[in-house]
Amino acid sequence: MTIKSLDIIHDEHRALAAMLSGLRSIASGIEAGRLKPDYDLLESMIEYIDKVPEKVHHPKEDQYLFAKLRQRCAEALPVIERLETEHRQGDARMATLRDALASYRQQGDAGFQGYHEALKTYIEQEWKHMNTEEREVFPLAKAHLTAEDWAEIDAAFLSNQNPWEGAAGEYRALFSKIVNIAPAPVGLGG
Amino acid sequence: MSNMLLEAKEVHTYYGASHILHGIDFSIREGEGIALMGRNGMGKSTLIKSMLGIVRPRHGRVLVRGDDYSRARTFQTAQQGIAYVPEGRGIFKSLTVRENLLMSARAGIDGRREWTFERVMETFPRLGERINNGGWQLSGGEQQMLTIGRALMTNPDLLILDEATEGLAPLIAMEIWRIVKEIRRTGIATVIVDKNHGAVTSICDRAMILVKGQVVFDGTSDEIRAQPELIQKHLGV
Repeated sequence: MTIKSLDIIHDEHRALAAMLSGLRSIASGIEAGRLKPDYDLLESMIEYIDKVPEKVHHPKEDQYLFAKLRQRCAEALPVIERLETEHRQGDARMATLRDALASYRQQGDAGFQGYHEALKTYIEQEWKHMNTEEREVFPLAKAHLTAEDWAEIDAAFLSNQNPWEGAAGEYRALFSKIVNIAPAPVGLGG
Repeated sequence: MSNMLLEAKEVHTYYGASHILHGIDFSIREGEGIALMGRNGMGKSTLIKSMLGIVRPRHGRVLVRGDDYSRARTFQTAQQGIAYVPEGRGIFKSLTVRENLLMSARAGIDGRREWTFERVMETFPRLGERINNGGWQLSGGEQQMLTIGRALMTNPDLLILDEATEGLAPLIAMEIWRIVKEIRRTGIATVIVDKNHGAVTSICDRAMILVKGQVVFDGTSDEIRAQPELIQKHLGV
């Protein structure tokens, strides 16, 4: 059976992973002395993660997929509760990362280590979170949700099929801007 | 149903004594998108090259819009509205971005000129910033954009992308997929060869998997995405 909503979540995870990979590569480049910090770029990348995965992607998972799985599978409750808690903590985790970047901007080189550590923590948490969803929740959902459940969830996801672009294409423009200014080989910038 | 654009019928291709394609059937209609997948060395690029006359099949037929192009030269096939973005990009490094684009400008097979220089600039604003740079001065991602832009300047009905994101960072690859999605929405049929099965099956309607020069799966993208065990078995991911 084809499950469109899980395909959409996979696609959105891939987009988030690309942004995280970009942030990590740029930080490694700065650490190695190959790149100079472009604070506006880093701010844009963090803004993208805040506006799209945190504000659009996670609520959609909570509202439709997790809500339905709660009703069908008691075994899934602990992992769902853990993931929902992580979703609720999203704003605080973003704030920590944003604060670390603000300190880095203010302090210059002296603030890099703090920013780098905060970034590594954020990336590690996000990867763990996505892996838990894909390796633990998706199999349970496939095993326990009915065709009617999936039809309902898919309909909800498909009605908002491309949240990454935003209603007026604003997120698409932000993504393209990031790709254009991020230094090569991460992006197309100089 | 829309018209057939390009077909391979029972194609057998060899490199010397090595039998690469074992009687492959392939077809793509106007407006269709096909993800052509398989591990390295399974015959994906050879199939593309066999249909374009870059490599000559030993047996079988290639049809373009129903006409036999089995013995046609590559430029004759290209003139039928088929554009090719080759693996390795193949831009002219001694020419500027502008020259690379303008040299390929021509009307489509029905005289249509939807893809103008200006439209390519709108689609790839980054190329606009590099317009007078030489091809050799471009990054890998910029070269890939230039190659796709150059293909669009021929106003094709079919765009063939061979490993369009190979060697590119994830952010650039995502941007290229976003642009290819936009191109697909304009109605250009597309064949995409790529290892990223998630990205290509989200763009294309149909998917094919080649294993050792034979088609082992030909179905919708939804069908292949619903069978992760098949992806694991044949693509190793």
